[in-house]
Amino acid sequence: MENAKTPNPILDPLKFRAAVFDNIGSEDAGFSNYSYWRSTLRTFFRNKMVLLLVALVLALIVMSLVYPLVSDVDPNKVSLMPLEWNLRPSAEHWFGTDALGRDIWTRAWYGVRNSFALAFCIALSDVGIGMIAGALWGYNKKLDPFMIELYNIMTNIPSTVYLVLLAYIMNTSYLTLFISMASRGWIVEARFFRNRILSLRDNEYNIASKCLGTPVWRIATRNIIPHIISLIIMEAALCIPYSIGSEVFMGFVGVGMPVEAITLGNIVNQGRASFTLHPYQMLLPTIILCIITVAFYVIGNKFADASDPRNHV
Amino acid sequence: MEHNHNGHASPLILSARDVEVRFNLRGRTLTAVRGASLDLYEGETLAIVGESGCGKSVFTKSFIGMLDKNGAVTGGKILYRGEDLTAYKTEAEWLRVRGKKIAMVFQDPMTSLNPVRTIGEQITEVITWHFGTEHEEAKREAIEILKRVGIADAQTRYKQYPNEFSGGMRQRVVIATAIACRPEILICDEPTTALDVTVQAQILRLIKDLQKELKMTVVYITHDLGVVANVADWVGVMYAGQIIEYGTVHEIFKEPVHPYTRALLQSLPQLGVRGHALYSIQGTPPSLFKEIRGDAFAPRNPDAMEIEFEQEPPQFEVSPTHWAKTWLLHPYAQDHRRALEEAEAQRRAERAEPTQPFVYETAEKLLEVKGLTVKFKLGGREFRAVNDVSFDIYKGETLSLVGESGSGKTTIGRAVMRVYNSNVSGEILYQGQPIVGKISKDKMKALRMEMQMIFQDPMASLNERAKVDYIISEGLYNYHLFENEADRLRKVEEIMQEVGLSKDFSSRFPHEFSGGQRQRIGIARSLVMNPNFIVADEPISALDVSIRAQVINLLNKLKRERGLTYLFIAHDLSVVRFISDRIAVINKGRIVELATCDELFDRPLHPYTRALLSAVPYPDPDRERDKELLVYDPAMHNYRDNPPQWTEIVPGHFILANQEELDIYRKELEG
Amino acid sequence: MTRYVLSRILRSLLTVIIVFVTVFMLLRLMPLTGYFPQEMLKEADEATRISYLRNQGLLDHPFVQLGRFVKNLFQGDLGRSLTVYPKVPISTLLQEKIPVTAAFGFSSLVLGIVLGVSLGLLMVRYKDRWGDRLGTLYIVTVRAVPNLIYLFFIQVWVSKWLNLPLVYYKDRPESWILPTICLALGSIAYYALWLRRFMVDEENRDYVKFAQVKGLPKKVVLRRHVFKNAVIPLVIYLPSDLLFIISGSLVIESLYAIPGTGGLLTNAIKSQDNPLVQVIVLMYAVLSVIGVFLGDMLVAFVDPRIKLTEGE
Repeated sequence: MENAKTPNPILDPLKFRAAVFDNIGSEDAGFSNYSYWRSTLRTFFRNKMVLLLVALVLALIVMSLVYPLVSDVDPNKVSLMPLEWNLRPSAEHWFGTDALGRDIWTRAWYGVRNSFALAFCIALSDVGIGMIAGALWGYNKKLDPFMIELYNIMTNIPSTVYLVLLAYIMNTSYLTLFISMASRGWIVEARFFRNRILSLRDNEYNIASKCLGTPVWRIATRNIIPHIISLIIMEAALCIPYSIGSEVFMGFVGVGMPVEAITLGNIVNQGRASFTLHPYQMLLPTIILCIITVAFYVIGNKFADASDPRNHV
Repeated sequence: MEHNHNGHASPLILSARDVEVRFNLRGRTLTAVRGASLDLYEGETLAIVGESGCGKSVFTKSFIGMLDKNGAVTGGKILYRGEDLTAYKTEAEWLRVRGKKIAMVFQDPMTSLNPVRTIGEQITEVITWHFGTEHEEAKREAIEILKRVGIADAQTRYKQYPNEFSGGMRQRVVIATAIACRPEILICDEPTTALDVTVQAQILRLIKDLQKELKMTVVYITHDLGVVANVADWVGVMYAGQIIEYGTVHEIFKEPVHPYTRALLQSLPQLGVRGHALYSIQGTPPSLFKEIRGDAFAPRNPDAMEIEFEQEPPQFEVSPTHWAKTWLLHPYAQDHRRALEEAEAQRRAERAEPTQPFVYETAEKLLEVKGLTVKFKLGGREFRAVNDVSFDIYKGETLSLVGESGSGKTTIGRAVMRVYNSNVSGEILYQGQPIVGKISKDKMKALRMEMQMIFQDPMASLNERAKVDYIISEGLYNYHLFENEADRLRKVEEIMQEVGLSKDFSSRFPHEFSGGQRQRIGIARSLVMNPNFIVADEPISALDVSIRAQVINLLNKLKRERGLTYLFIAHDLSVVRFISDRIAVINKGRIVELATCDELFDRPLHPYTRALLSAVPYPDPDRERDKELLVYDPAMHNYRDNPPQWTEIVPGHFILANQEELDIYRKELEG
Repeated sequence: MTRYVLSRILRSLLTVIIVFVTVFMLLRLMPLTGYFPQEMLKEADEATRISYLRNQGLLDHPFVQLGRFVKNLFQGDLGRSLTVYPKVPISTLLQEKIPVTAAFGFSSLVLGIVLGVSLGLLMVRYKDRWGDRLGTLYIVTVRAVPNLIYLFFIQVWVSKWLNLPLVYYKDRPESWILPTICLALGSIAYYALWLRRFMVDEENRDYVKFAQVKGLPKKVVLRRHVFKNAVIPLVIYLPSDLLFIISGSLVIESLYAIPGTGGLLTNAIKSQDNPLVQVIVLMYAVLSVIGVFLGDMLVAFVDPRIKLTEGE
């Protein structure tokens, strides 16, 4: 007896014959040609704001690299004529001039270039050294007590106090700034990567590789790094706003770059002094600085989101 | 509607009709439940059995409005005492039902309880919330319930946090919480899957007793046919989002009609005959993202009819209590059915030949383990995961190592594979050569090519970021076992063919595959090294029932064709029986008994082995109904004054016992 | 439990000692010019300078200096300031300044927790709606833009807008408002960000679903079950928040001319006053270790899971 609810179309008796068995068809579990990286990038760039920010950052970087090459304005050219001091923005000086008659538009691009180069180096060394140290730390149990103690000591001192102290001890220069920031940042990253590697290390596929006799370097390059590369990118992106912020801070405390160095931190700090009279001197470079830091912060976080397979389409 | 009760003694309490549940996953629609129907009668036990992803859990969650945010019931009705639950929109409406009328127990007791509140608070809050009872009164009641679910010293336990309870005890607390407000229906979503077999048996018994006492209606969701046979009055078999067959437990186990149900039962290793290929279901369950035409099982059914690919079958009644959704029951299918029956009879006739038992007298020892101990450090303290274990493996046999979680069985396998370094002591000889401690690079290479491992979790054991081609070739790359690129590709293709994978799969990533396919990739990865000895670490326990047979058959085929020797690690004695020549039972890091398969099942001696055997659910309702549970209590041994020895009590039968116990066992063997 | 506390105290003590010694050794590298009073720096010749340094014991072996410093420390003698407040004993200075910094630090700590947790809850409540977006905007701004920049604009613009004083006056409580809020801004973002994240994570856990299946409404489940679970990991962040506030005080105290230790450090560095720098840096380092220790204790106190793992 058939269930009364189901409609009963006219059936063809001939259809009640054995069908041909399709071996491949039975194995079909829904192939979708999924690739982790393609999906990550697609999810990442699907966000309009991310697209905008990436474009903006790229434009800023290109501009800061190209401008000093094509422009013949000397960012350090001091004018002796008071008439050229503290000029408001105009067609000639787009961002105006500062208290010494230097063109702020030009200085801003040199500043972006220098600050960005510094931040980039710091990000590279923090994440690079951090990753290597983290890998050693994660794979070598004997290092553990020593590294944990080192980590505790270094992170127990407030970062600003540490930075200020180191910069105070050494004469200020790009190198000083780099050393004082890089000497601390790596261990934070190392700890981060160590935890990740520890959680990856005992995964069954790594044990499988071990049983197959895979050498450690190949386990690292094929099994570990592909799983943490998105974290590496994210951490590097987040390093940039941090190091630019630190540079500004150190300039403020008085252990920043020498006055003649053109960095965003210096421009902003110099502009701050005359802010009440000539706000544009600080405002315009500050906006550029904020765009960079916010953009990298957002990009870093959004990339982390996009790299999580749970968020994939 | 069916008011004649269709063989049920009590009135209908809940009736689901053509329920459809859809999920929206980032723009794609997944139809998890595709018109499933079900009737539930008061005081009875219904088991919904199906593979992972068949929608059984989603289906029952829709009874209490607990679907995830992106899912919704998009069709059908769920009538609870005449009221349509699918019409409920607000939380307030659902609160009238949840907990009070229909309660639910989840799979994992470790995560079902809030870790930072005492278990007492978590039970009491249900009572005060639903009945407005005073706190003191509710507390007294909660303690009563805790006692009822078998928690000793309930007064003290009341104030403890979940992490102070073992898994089984936590599940008892979860059950206590669920029954605290006397629900009419208790839905148990795989309530014992995360537990050990001995604990599982106790929990199932507890639920049964409570059901009788409180006159509850119980719905089990499970993938384990053994559990079904044990608990259910009624069974609904679910496949690809539909209940495809429904009937009493006897009808389903003894006279199944749907091809899927039949195939499922036939493919159970517990019911197989050793030495023969199991009946295995081909392929994998369909993706529910796609629209399914006709009978969802047809693509995997070698005996499907043409119509099954084209039209969805209606419900056909087999008996007043039994219906199935298959075209086989249509009058037009009579001829086809007869042909199938003949073929079946022929198959059965061919199968009935005896198997050759493994001959140990002439066999050569391949692996010898002597006094193996593995130590780990946990929270500053050292403990022995494996404690003074000795056994031999003969060339060409399958030795199974059976134990519960945390017994150290996986650790033994990994120690043999040299996954650990400094924390291993004792001796392991492979073909007479020691393989513990430092060994030369050449020897290591030879060893890696001799011994390989197959892993438990097909999801975790393949690197998600590598393509199948690389995964399978990994061993080839490591020891450069190929002449040129073409040679490597040829080897990969050959091995894929051997494990039954299409060579087109080699450019895909692992997550494109189902569990069974992934497990076959894992097997291919080890086989490509051309090993003689394989440690198989629970290779089928994470797989669906319909897939297990494929993998077991594959392992047996490889053993036959390549002359492999297996160390097979498992937790389920009944599965192991089908594939093993000998079985070793391990408990808390020590092997307690080792014997040939038949000897162990016929004459188990150690009380732990007996407890384990009594607890294993067997997929046969007759056998499950009147089984007696034995409980093993380690305190019964008097080992402090009289430590146990690893003794060969009769040839080939080893046991861990002290002198006193040996005398008793000997007497038993004689008597 | 007591064993855990004791072992933790011992470990922290060890860390304090190591941090103290390390920082002290680092401080030996400070520019020597910072050891001279102003007039001597201008006038004295090389020979006088060296003899001055020798007199002060600054050319001794670092460990000898450390021993002397510790000995003096126990007698309550921290040395004297050189350039910032010439000849004033540093202990007197600290007695004057620590209460100010502590008061600001403490009130903004409380403010940060209260407002941060409220903002976090608000964002969870209105998840993926405007409340959440505005909160995220705030968090991104505070965390991405260098703090100096927004603090500066708040000082200049918000004070004008609300008609509040630009700098700190001891006797005008309304001038304390802005610095306190500014000091808390970072912590607010911090707590809101993590609380939101933890709450959202916890919401998907089984025990939350199980509590709902028991028949409790979502709101009650959030309040009774989710909140406590989300707050426990937040407690771990308390010590780092303390570091945060210490860092912030360096900027804010100079901006608002607050006579506290943060501003003092900035001044000491600007005017190269080594003895003062040394004492304040050491103080901060030790304080931070203690903060981390207290945070750990607090976690062990509120999280029932810790007792068992350590107690066995």
